[in-house]
Amino acid sequence: MIHSGADSPIFVMATEIEKQADSAPLDPKLFNAVECYHRFLQDPDMSTPVATFKVFTEFIRCSQAPTMTEFLETLRQVGETIQDASIYDSNEWKSLNNSRTRNPHKATIATLAGIHLFNQFVRRNSSDFTELEDLKATLLNGSARILEKAASARERVAETGAQFVHDNAVILVHSYSRTVMNVLQYAANVQNKRFKVYVTEGRPTSDGLVAVSELQASGIPCAAVLDSAVGFILDKVDMIFVGAEGVVENGGIINQIGTYQIALVAKALSKPVYAIAESYKFVRLYPLNQYDLPSIVPDIVSFSTRRKSSSNALDLGENHSVDLAMSNPSVDYTPPQYLTLLLTDLGVLTPSGVSDELIKLYL
Amino acid sequence: MSTSNQSHEMSQHGSKASASTSEGKRKNQKTSRKAVYKRYNTLGQSSGSPALGHPQSGARKSLKDMTKAERRALQEQKVLEKQDRKAAGLPSSAKKASEQEAHRKVASPKIGSTANTPQSPAPDAEKQAKKQQKRLNEVPWLSHLDPPKKPNTASNTNKDLHPAVLALGLRFAEHKMVGSNARCVAMLMTFAKIIQDHKPPSDASFSRHIQKYLDPHIAYLLSVRPMSLSMRECIRWLKKEISEIVEEDPPLTDESARNRLVERIEYFIKERITVADRLIVENGMQKIQNGDVILTYAKSSVVEALLLEAKRSGYEFRVVVVDSRPMFEGKHLLRRLVSAGIDCTYVLLSSIYVVLKDVTKVILGAHALLNNGAVYSRIGTAMVAMAASDKQIPVMVCCETYKFVNRTQVDSLVLNEMGNPDELVVKKSNDENSSNSLTNWRDVPNLRLLNLHYDVTPSKHITLVVTEVGLIPCTSAPVIWREYNEEFRKGVQAK
Repeated sequence: MIHSGADSPIFVMATEIEKQADSAPLDPKLFNAVECYHRFLQDPDMSTPVATFKVFTEFIRCSQAPTMTEFLETLRQVGETIQDASIYDSNEWKSLNNSRTRNPHKATIATLAGIHLFNQFVRRNSSDFTELEDLKATLLNGSARILEKAASARERVAETGAQFVHDNAVILVHSYSRTVMNVLQYAANVQNKRFKVYVTEGRPTSDGLVAVSELQASGIPCAAVLDSAVGFILDKVDMIFVGAEGVVENGGIINQIGTYQIALVAKALSKPVYAIAESYKFVRLYPLNQYDLPSIVPDIVSFSTRRKSSSNALDLGENHSVDLAMSNPSVDYTPPQYLTLLLTDLGVLTPSGVSDELIKLYL
Repeated sequence: MSTSNQSHEMSQHGSKASASTSEGKRKNQKTSRKAVYKRYNTLGQSSGSPALGHPQSGARKSLKDMTKAERRALQEQKVLEKQDRKAAGLPSSAKKASEQEAHRKVASPKIGSTANTPQSPAPDAEKQAKKQQKRLNEVPWLSHLDPPKKPNTASNTNKDLHPAVLALGLRFAEHKMVGSNARCVAMLMTFAKIIQDHKPPSDASFSRHIQKYLDPHIAYLLSVRPMSLSMRECIRWLKKEISEIVEEDPPLTDESARNRLVERIEYFIKERITVADRLIVENGMQKIQNGDVILTYAKSSVVEALLLEAKRSGYEFRVVVVDSRPMFEGKHLLRRLVSAGIDCTYVLLSSIYVVLKDVTKVILGAHALLNNGAVYSRIGTAMVAMAASDKQIPVMVCCETYKFVNRTQVDSLVLNEMGNPDELVVKKSNDENSSNSLTNWRDVPNLRLLNLHYDVTPSKHITLVVTEVGLIPCTSAPVIWREYNEEFRKGVQAK
């Protein structure tokens, strides 16, 4: 079994989360999953599941585990460490007063998708080998192939998604999503379609404003709307594009807060809602409702701290917006019946098709 | 068989010229069947063996006692029979043909015109009137379903059957053993016992004979109570296993074939039912939280296991058991839940909307999951699921993957099981002569009682299905059926 002790690399990783990034540099020989994870996430074009996958690949490369059992056990622990780190990150990010600096890597669900994907990949392969070195080599080869495929996924999504954009279309986009940006830019610049875009502001991060400036830079006419003005503007809109942090088993999506509301309004006004996601964001989760997500339940769900909530309403000082962001959720769950189609690199899927793909992947 | 083919073959066999109208065709079939019977008789006489007379004469020599010539004659006769049956447009297997024949005999007097059967003795007028009355009491648009059956234990047709099957049949027929898992396991165990005890005749190998030997046992079980869809699926699997044993090359010895079959059955029970149930409980636990109010309907073994496990794990939750007449299966569940210390409420189906107000989850069992994502389950389930989805309460169905069947059904009438309508009549035990309007319902013309056992819940009312392979939406049933059955087969072979 695993040797446990203060000098074990796992132990170092676990304590690392508590100290966070600015602690003293550790022994360079030891593998630091959290640091590695953050380094990969520095790249603005890196998608969270891919980053997670890369951390595992790095770990396999550095791993000095002597036996198969220990190797698999440490892999599992790396997964847990990354998961904890992502939860920590999303809280950390909320508490800092940085609502104007975009942080695309707050996605707990996306990290989970990456971890699940890698675990399944290991499980598929681990039964065939008795020698640890063989297994490692196969895993490295296999993951290189998967990463290569993942790198081109966003392009394929753009191709799939852009066929839904037609000339003179008016599209509503929720906040900032790299995949959605790719689709719009592909439609405008490669297919030379002319269309207009409304972007919701996406409070509290206001990522939508970033999206507006990026779209304007690529010559797409666009305007920002308030999150609360979605119902007002929706009559003028032909279709709605939303990204996804994770696509769950029943074909619903988990995405930045506000997506569910938009989907509901769109359903009432019968406008098509297209979710755009790469297939590596599919995750084996089955939320029954909004509060059934694997992230921390935000404070507003329960009224346990009465004093705090009342002070919230009165306090209009400096930290007002920060407090709101802290006590509110950052993601919501949109059930599949409110989505028209999912545009993915596997092609156009109906929400129920997601489960079929997941079963093929995980069975 | 296509019509053109049929008429072609008929004319080959020298029956009367085929007519194109359906009337003509029926006549043709009759004449050719007569010809078939004639041939049986002549054949029997010419071969000089009285035992080979009419196929229904029953007292046939066993294969062992015959000489080589006799056996050959028998075989030839069978081939001829098959050809004739084919020519007459009947199915090629003797079993099916005789079934059809029997069916026709039963059906013909029902249709009404007794003039067609002059050879039968003059029907008793009183009997006829009773029959008429009974037909009036039957629900007319469900006449395709079998009426509830009573096992005939006395007749000597059963004397070749294994006693274990007879015992099992009785328990099925009297509803002593209910619940699809329990019935399935009991049936498979009984088959394993039969296989274990079976001694093939000296001139046949075990693997070739066992299928033929099992068939009457299966037919007997079918005759006492219609099988659930999942049991049919199990039998289909068992037959496939048996046919694989026959194909094995080099052929297996009797002993190893027997052991292999028994092992496979045990493996099936373990993997697809016992372990599957444990995994379902494990998967279902993900969705149980503190403060839940869980509503369940009737009784399901796996739902019971899930609730008990949740209690054991220290969750704080409340259970609402919904029950209905006439079976009151929920009482059994209730007793076990209460004795485990779970806070329970017991209501009847009629008050479902009242109790739904503070329910957070509905967890149901299933008899089968159909290809279109519909759930085939105890009657009343559809109502519960519909009410819950109307109130936006998640409906979870616990179902092992062996209950996934390749079959589509959109209503509850095409296939169902008819229960005894007398169960709907409330009998007051202390007062026999109570003036209940239903006690003499059979004498009231145009009064019909209907007691169906199952219903079909459309997929739109089901939020998710808890299976041993995880939580899936019910629309993925065909994918699981295809992929997982394949996977299981591979797993068995690898073992």
